[in-house]
Amino acid sequence: MKRELNHRESSAGEGGSSPMTTVIKEEAAGVDELLVVLGYKVRSSDMADVAHKLEQLEMVLGDGISNLCDETVHYNPSDLSGWVESMLSDLDPTRSQEKPGSEYDLRAIAGSAVYPREEHVSRRSKRTRVEPEMSTTRSVVVLDSQETGVRLVHALLACAEAVQQNNLKLADALVKHVGLLASSQAGAMRKVATYFAEGLARRIYRIYPRDDDVALSDTLQIHFYESCPYLKFAHFTANQAILEAFAMADKVHVIDLGLNHGLQWPALIQALALRPNGPPDFRLTGIGYSLTELQEVGWKLGQLASTIGVNYEFKSIALNNLSDLKPEMLDIRSGSESVAVNSVFDLHRLLAHPGSIDKFLSTIRSIRPDIMTIVEQEANHNGTVFLDRFTESLHYYSSLFDSLEGSPSQDRVMSELFLGRQILNLVACEGEDRVERHETLNQWRNRFGSGGFKPVNIGSNAYKQASMLLALHAGADGYSVDENEGCLLLGWQTRPLIATSAWSL
Amino acid sequence: MAASDEVNLIESRTVVPLNTWVLISNFKVAYNILRRPDGTFNRHLAEYLDRKVTANANPVDGVFSFDVLIDRRTNLLSRVYRPAYADQEQPPSVLDLERPVDGEIVPVILFFHGGSFAHSSANSAIYDTLCRRLVGVCNCVVVSVNYRRAPENPYPCAYDDGWIALNWVNSRSWLKSKKDSKVHIFLAGDSSGGNIAHNVALKAGESGIDVLGNILLNPMFGGNERTESEKSLDGKYFVTVRDRDWYWKAFLPEGEDREHPACNPFSPRGKNLEGVSFPKSLVVVAGLDLIRDWQLAYAEGLKKAGKEVKLMHLEKATIGFYLLPNNNHFHNVMDEISAFVNAEC
Repeated sequence: MKRELNHRESSAGEGGSSPMTTVIKEEAAGVDELLVVLGYKVRSSDMADVAHKLEQLEMVLGDGISNLCDETVHYNPSDLSGWVESMLSDLDPTRSQEKPGSEYDLRAIAGSAVYPREEHVSRRSKRTRVEPEMSTTRSVVVLDSQETGVRLVHALLACAEAVQQNNLKLADALVKHVGLLASSQAGAMRKVATYFAEGLARRIYRIYPRDDDVALSDTLQIHFYESCPYLKFAHFTANQAILEAFAMADKVHVIDLGLNHGLQWPALIQALALRPNGPPDFRLTGIGYSLTELQEVGWKLGQLASTIGVNYEFKSIALNNLSDLKPEMLDIRSGSESVAVNSVFDLHRLLAHPGSIDKFLSTIRSIRPDIMTIVEQEANHNGTVFLDRFTESLHYYSSLFDSLEGSPSQDRVMSELFLGRQILNLVACEGEDRVERHETLNQWRNRFGSGGFKPVNIGSNAYKQASMLLALHAGADGYSVDENEGCLLLGWQTRPLIATSAWSL
Repeated sequence: MAASDEVNLIESRTVVPLNTWVLISNFKVAYNILRRPDGTFNRHLAEYLDRKVTANANPVDGVFSFDVLIDRRTNLLSRVYRPAYADQEQPPSVLDLERPVDGEIVPVILFFHGGSFAHSSANSAIYDTLCRRLVGVCNCVVVSVNYRRAPENPYPCAYDDGWIALNWVNSRSWLKSKKDSKVHIFLAGDSSGGNIAHNVALKAGESGIDVLGNILLNPMFGGNERTESEKSLDGKYFVTVRDRDWYWKAFLPEGEDREHPACNPFSPRGKNLEGVSFPKSLVVVAGLDLIRDWQLAYAEGLKKAGKEVKLMHLEKATIGFYLLPNNNHFHNVMDEISAFVNAEC
């Protein structure tokens, strides 16, 4: 089944270079077309071998009784061959893992990160799985079919179109109309519509929002952290990948590209303290805007570390812009420490300035991190056409706001404000001021692939624990965690909203 | 491992294409790991392993889809699949998704995915693909229900969700055919989905909602007795009697046996269908499915009760043949389904 190329291709970002595309095509050409549509990537030439391995696996597993313990960790089910092979290895550790003549790396099961096994624990990350954005996917969930809701969306889109056509007089009339309609709505729809209308109004009247109140932003982020699971999921899944990468290391160094209040790190430090082979020496480099704020956060984390017996070192780097980061600032002690680079909802800001992201990735490459963990919004809000960006983000934030409805009101209000600032930036700003340039997982895959990074798979143990973490949240039923070729996505009502991925060189 | 088991594996390999064998064996192996002997189910791992796809409002091969939350209380979602609008160059805007269907008679298939009541979802790739194919072949709208699954949500949850979905579809103004301003509804499903379709049709008959036809693909039925096909095909073509028993235990109420009408509609405990309003049925049976005899008995039972039945007994087909378009059974069945739903056009 051939996928037809979509006419409305949004910009896939500065990522795919032509040599890469040829490689992709070659690789894609060998894969069984019918299975790929069903989510499985198996080379036609490997099919018989995979069948053989499945037979072996069935024989070993017996008839319906599972010999695999519940703690077995699975990785990337789309790679059927790898999945079957790793289960066979898990059941029979003496089995040779390498297929003769295979270009695949060793695949071993890593097991839970805090209980590292003696065997070599490298995950198969050699083969680059890079895919160009062949066609854009628009995931729409209709949460509310009410007549008024539909009219409101209609008015918003009409206004955005008028803005795009630079028909400001019409746009002005429409934005007022939106305001009227919004006031008669209730719940998430009203709030989302209000923010988008404000964004449009600002754009029309050229009263651009300012992004410089960092303290406010940080404060709001704490409420966002409390009221809904997105940040917790981001931190949790990124930490899992980091822990697995650090499993055998004696000295570890985490570089947080956006430290904020350092909410991600207490859990990691605690997990490191609980390692059966004892905690490693832990170094944290926090990047942010304000030196004093960074140092305060660093100090507090240090207090925690010392109470639980983890050797701790902290360094702060104050930058106005991530692209100002230079490798020498990071003071990497190569050869003696494992390095993790972590970014949660920050990297997209680099897309506001052409060339910055590539430059930044080569900076990161030069320090040769053992792992890079990235969490980003799962959406394309960086297309070249304003109306497309507007429509996409309207859906996105509608889902996001809908998911907040169940939270306690104080945190929710702050969270809405937190997200509202993103909406205003997205809608009203342009050029270097428009920093909320979210792109999809596939687009990021392109970039990292072109940048020389290879995917590191996040496994079923992280998935399970993330799911369990979600269950603790109010309105848990609506959230869903999905595995997508080694990455984890958190969504609301089938719409994926954030994606965690891990990379190495 | 017993020699007979080895023979089974080799035998199943001869009757299906290699990639089909790999696909279904992959499910078999995965499902074996997920079912625990104590009756619990490794749901987290099941969701992790399941390959899912998002809805896509941009048409692909002439079909677009979107999800609808049809009942917030139970978080009941359904995925709607529609043919791309003929008059549009651009993909439909969000306002256009619920545009009224354009035709004198437009069939709407309410689809229940399979998975033996425990596995899969409406957004599972295998079912998303199947539903898209149905739209393409039948030129209809498909609504795929993300019903609650066992063992966490046993009988009657799936039926209740099906009933809610039927009422939802029936009340959508944008799904009404121009001819009579009514929604022309067909119920369809494979495996447990077929079972759900039967039960929802029953309830529809009692409640005066018009269902124009049932399409049951390898429907999941059973009973206490071990039929000939269960005995002779046990373990031969991907499925065992033991795993069937596990799923029934997970779905049926505590302490019940397989003569419960949900499992065996024509058991003495089942409802007598004579004189009851019930749609015409297309029942597709794979000859190498070990519950073949129950499915054939179901079709017989419908006939005896005076209901219209078209039986397609594909003697050489195994379970899951309709998941990949790489065999004749697939194409034959698709043609039959299309003829079945377009009979009035």
